[in-house]
Amino acid sequence: MNAFEMPDQLQVTKPLSILRNDCLSLLESLQNVDGGWGFHAGEHSRVEPTDWALRALSHSAGIVDGKNLSSATGFLRSRQLPDGSWPACAEMSAGSWITSLTCSVLAADSESAKNVAAGLKWLCDDFPRDTSPWRRFLRRIRNESHLAKQNDSYRGWGWTPKTSSWVEPTAFALMALHDALAGQLSGNASQRRELAVALLYDRMCPGGGWNCGNPNVYGVDGEALVLPTCWALLALREAQEKPGRALSLAWLQKEFANIESAASLAVARMTLENYGIEWQASSDTVAPPAKRDLQDWSAQELAEQGTHVLAWASMSLNPARPWPAVAAKA
Amino acid sequence: MNQRNRDLIPSFSRPASRVMIRRAARYEEDLLALIYESLCEFHLPVKDKTILLKPNLVGLDPQGVMNTHPSVIAATRESLLKLGAARVMIGDGPAMDRDTQAILESVRLKEFTGKLGKDFCDLNIDDVERVPLETRATRLKELFLPKTALGVDFLVSMPKLKTHHWAGVTLSLKNMFGIVPGSCYGWPKNVLHWAGIDRSILDINAAARPDFAIVDGILGMEGNGPIQGSPKAAGVLLFGDDPVAVDSTACRVMGLLPERVDYLVRAGTMLGHVEASKIQQLGERVDSVRTTFAVLPEFSRLLA
Repeated sequence: MNAFEMPDQLQVTKPLSILRNDCLSLLESLQNVDGGWGFHAGEHSRVEPTDWALRALSHSAGIVDGKNLSSATGFLRSRQLPDGSWPACAEMSAGSWITSLTCSVLAADSESAKNVAAGLKWLCDDFPRDTSPWRRFLRRIRNESHLAKQNDSYRGWGWTPKTSSWVEPTAFALMALHDALAGQLSGNASQRRELAVALLYDRMCPGGGWNCGNPNVYGVDGEALVLPTCWALLALREAQEKPGRALSLAWLQKEFANIESAASLAVARMTLENYGIEWQASSDTVAPPAKRDLQDWSAQELAEQGTHVLAWASMSLNPARPWPAVAAKA
Repeated sequence: MNQRNRDLIPSFSRPASRVMIRRAARYEEDLLALIYESLCEFHLPVKDKTILLKPNLVGLDPQGVMNTHPSVIAATRESLLKLGAARVMIGDGPAMDRDTQAILESVRLKEFTGKLGKDFCDLNIDDVERVPLETRATRLKELFLPKTALGVDFLVSMPKLKTHHWAGVTLSLKNMFGIVPGSCYGWPKNVLHWAGIDRSILDINAAARPDFAIVDGILGMEGNGPIQGSPKAAGVLLFGDDPVAVDSTACRVMGLLPERVDYLVRAGTMLGHVEASKIQQLGERVDSVRTTFAVLPEFSRLLA
């Protein structure tokens, strides 16, 4: 088998399945009475950790009970703002990038269809301020092109409304548009998608991969990071193939060997598997092996790094996950 | 944080601030002895208190150029425990990368501090509390800030001595950007840039002002900081009970004029002292340790 070929059937070894079960059980036990999850045990429920926990637990039948998942979707619906967006925490009155993630997670829930449609409408109406015609005009007359090399005609999404486009929120928005059901998208969705895909390629680091969205500042090339690269690659999975995607995938394959954190390791594994590329942490047939394996952490240690990390690890260890799905052999 | 630090006091009615400069050529020196001895000079009210050290952990940094060095963090933590602190936590919310654990691994923090467990707080994903902004330097009426940073008895800002491509310099005041949680505002915390970096620095520090500052200037960064600049050895550590005075002194050590750093001028009106005449200088004299840092052309006005 080639170093990065996919096996016919992805299997989870026994120790990994034990860790997966531990992670899922712990994740389930951390649910708050209001149906949501905090970033850590005992903390107030928030939308983002609830999204990730719900996504991890949704397809774990037979491992965990899952009886309280409807209260999780109920919690998410209850946190939606009147304008259709979701805020980052309960007291915030403005929506954020979490709207994209929540729309994706709730996309398959029929009871949430109206909530998702409202969220997607908000998303399609939310344009970053940095690339407005006025801002572009100002930048041109100020001759600021040396600060950051980027094409300002492309537009994605920001972390918060009316700010600048960044790689990760743009990637999550693209995934939300992709996951939407027919009839849920507003008229400009297709144009937004095109501009956002173009923006991701434009913001790619010269050697492949992405950071937050600064491929070059003051003439110095930016260095790619694992998580933004993974989200961008997952968002571009269905987009037209361009050399930049293959280059970025190659960057991730190479960087995989240097990953030392559970979060990046879990998400990188899922991304590679989504592209039909096998990671092999310990196989002597594969070079280069990763420095760390998820088994280096206990479920409790993963939870201490955040509910989202525990959820990512759970998903990464679950070959039956629907998102991001494990691709058939490349 | 103590009440004194929550108050906005005009510079003219503040007592003189104290800033100490100590030479330290290398991270391999006995930093524990040096930092403990320096902190003793300040008679800090830390006995039985819970303290948060807020280093500058900005990105993956195996070479130790952009982040506060773990040996400085560990020696400070040890010193404060020796001074009777009940608990000394370490916390930061990296601005450009949400994988905080990856940054901690890259700097090998655990090798210096030992296992931290819940004594490390990822401020990006901490529970948050709404804080109205009294200074209103920006249009932001409020910020949601981490409960851990707001709830400790004593907050220490521990920046690296660096130039910054948007703000001129990044020291103990700018370092406080790191308490603004990414889970609310993103990576980077772009809403602060839109509100104006200089003015945001004022709002954040008025809302959660550090009680003490320690600047890691053993190896700093010049030019296109805070990430892509060049390493610059300055061989100093700075300590002080007024972050504005510490930052102003750090500027002078870097051969820069603090009176021309916009946010320091603003901070000098209500958070601390910029003028050298209002700073009691301890340890080394500024002149004896001055090392001129290169700045981007946009900030050439800062050069002394």
